[in-house]
Amino acid sequence: MRGLPLEVSNLSVTGAEGRVLVRAESLSIAPGQSIGIRGPSGAGKSTLLYALAGLQPTARGVIRWGDADLVALGESERARFRRDHVGMVFQDFLLFEELTAQGNAALAAAFGARGDVGSIRSRAGAVLQRLRIGDTARTVDSFSGGERQRVAIARALANDPAIILADEPTASLDRDTADRMIDDLVDLARTGGKTLIAVSHDRNLLDRMDRLVEVIDGRLREGAPDA
Amino acid sequence: MPEILLDGWQGLSPTAQDILALLLLLAPAILVGFAVTFGYRPFLLVRSLLWRYRWTNLVFVALIAVSVGLGVGLTAQERGLRQGTARAAEKFDLIVSAPGSEITMLFASVYLQPSDVPLLDGATYDAIVSNENVSLAAPIAYGDSFEGYPVVGTTPGFIAHLSGDLAQGEMFSRTGQAVAGSAVAVEVGASFTPAHGMGDGAEHDAHAGAETVIVGRMAPTGSPWDKAILVPVEAVWEVHGLANGHAPERAEQIGPPFDPDYFPGTPAVMVHADALWANYALKSDFTTDRTMAFFPGAVLSRLHALMGDVRQIMSLMAVVTQVLVTAGVLTGLVVLTRLFSRRLALLRALGAPRRFVFAVVWCYAATLIAGGAVLGLGAGFAAAGLISREISRRTDILVSAGLAWPEFHLIAGFVSLTLLLALVPAFLALNRPVIADLRN
Repeated sequence: MRGLPLEVSNLSVTGAEGRVLVRAESLSIAPGQSIGIRGPSGAGKSTLLYALAGLQPTARGVIRWGDADLVALGESERARFRRDHVGMVFQDFLLFEELTAQGNAALAAAFGARGDVGSIRSRAGAVLQRLRIGDTARTVDSFSGGERQRVAIARALANDPAIILADEPTASLDRDTADRMIDDLVDLARTGGKTLIAVSHDRNLLDRMDRLVEVIDGRLREGAPDA
Repeated sequence: MPEILLDGWQGLSPTAQDILALLLLLAPAILVGFAVTFGYRPFLLVRSLLWRYRWTNLVFVALIAVSVGLGVGLTAQERGLRQGTARAAEKFDLIVSAPGSEITMLFASVYLQPSDVPLLDGATYDAIVSNENVSLAAPIAYGDSFEGYPVVGTTPGFIAHLSGDLAQGEMFSRTGQAVAGSAVAVEVGASFTPAHGMGDGAEHDAHAGAETVIVGRMAPTGSPWDKAILVPVEAVWEVHGLANGHAPERAEQIGPPFDPDYFPGTPAVMVHADALWANYALKSDFTTDRTMAFFPGAVLSRLHALMGDVRQIMSLMAVVTQVLVTAGVLTGLVVLTRLFSRRLALLRALGAPRRFVFAVVWCYAATLIAGGAVLGLGAGFAAAGLISREISRRTDILVSAGLAWPEFHLIAGFVSLTLLLALVPAFLALNRPVIADLRN
């Protein structure tokens, strides 16, 4: 599935006691574009990312992916949107340790529509092969950090999403492994025409993004890759 | 409509009623399970969660198993005991004794528990045996023992009535011979001298010279009589220095008829009539100011009714225990779901429908509950078997506690109730904050 455009306007996300965690007047992302989000710890980067995924119930304003305004949708519709259009990658992989690489990558087959199960499984297998995970029948508890993150990327791509959201995807990896992971993630996103948004402190990852957005004290500021 | 249902129900065989009751009890669990999992495939994840927290899960399963096993064991054991005591008494149609406590006489005559009881005289025995409805009237005499086995005096006819054909050897035909119960650890052909009395107070030399040879062995009866040594009633009277029930010219006779003038007395007469109605007539005939007639089965029924009240209390305690354990398990499940709340949050972040996450948690709980129930069924069965063996060993009453429909109904009800209650932790898991759990 090719990337979706994003239009954000008048976005605010509040936390406990009504404190505003993130405020964005406007943000536009073209289909297939890659965006790096950076900023100090606690500035609201991940909060913004989760809001863009429709996971922030306190988000107000407009978060429009294509025709779908996530703020206006109900919870089950937002879940359906993520299921159909979003792949997510997390800092510490969040895999089911007792499942195989294939089982993790094809996790969405457990709750996807019956007609999608076959395609999810075959796509997960194909991405795992492309990411050089040879033994897909092995449980991931014996995998290295790099292998785990590649399985997590395969999981994010198994439903052929239009959007990939990555939260500090290299933070748990050593430099070499992180660089290989960046190559894999960016290549897969670009090849598939996916819209990629990555929250990161990793300069190498941010350098590979088309655009950078900086979050400071919850406010967004456009910034060039070399900023 | 209810009349039609009632008629239909009553038209079913007992087995069909039990099966239907089981299905009705399980129906809520099956329906909820079907509704919760319909359209999804949560079992891979459930298996993953079960393995991930396997030790904690095992503790939960064991807790449920103990609770279920307690209920199953109690009901199975109580039924086994009831059936065992009834089986032990089924050959004793009617007992006639001196007026007193029916229960004391029941324990003394059927279960061979030592007791001092007044004796019936020869005239009374003669009146019993002369009744046209009586087909067997056997006096018994007890009070002696050998190595802990009660030595009971009776007649060959009563032994045949009690156990049918002998399993080994032959029937005694004179004093100085005995027939051993099936569980008496004395070989046929061995001889012994009975002691006067039972237990620690027995006088071992009181009957010196009354050497007795075991000449036969009864088939098992499932009653305390399996651990008794049966001798001619005449022998018991003789060793106690009494007349042997027969006139001097027939002093060698064994068994009836007895001469009332030489009848020294018996604590009880076991009476059998061929016709059922005749037993009631005999009971009426011998319920007088000098005699007491009772059906051991009826006395047992009253005892069982009393035990039934106790059983209800025990059953209530078992149910209360199960409810408490269920409450504990459900509370524990809420805590457990917090353990894997991050995984549930991940599923929701990936777009899993709420009902799928709900299904994962419920199926996880259902697996623990069902596993504990099945294990508890086995544990209860095993415990009931062990306790039965111990009761049989101590009382000589054959108690066999097996699983029956009430246990399956109990478990089906428990499983259904807890699976319905397991909806609560599943529902609570849905209301957890996704992002907070993801960052946890």
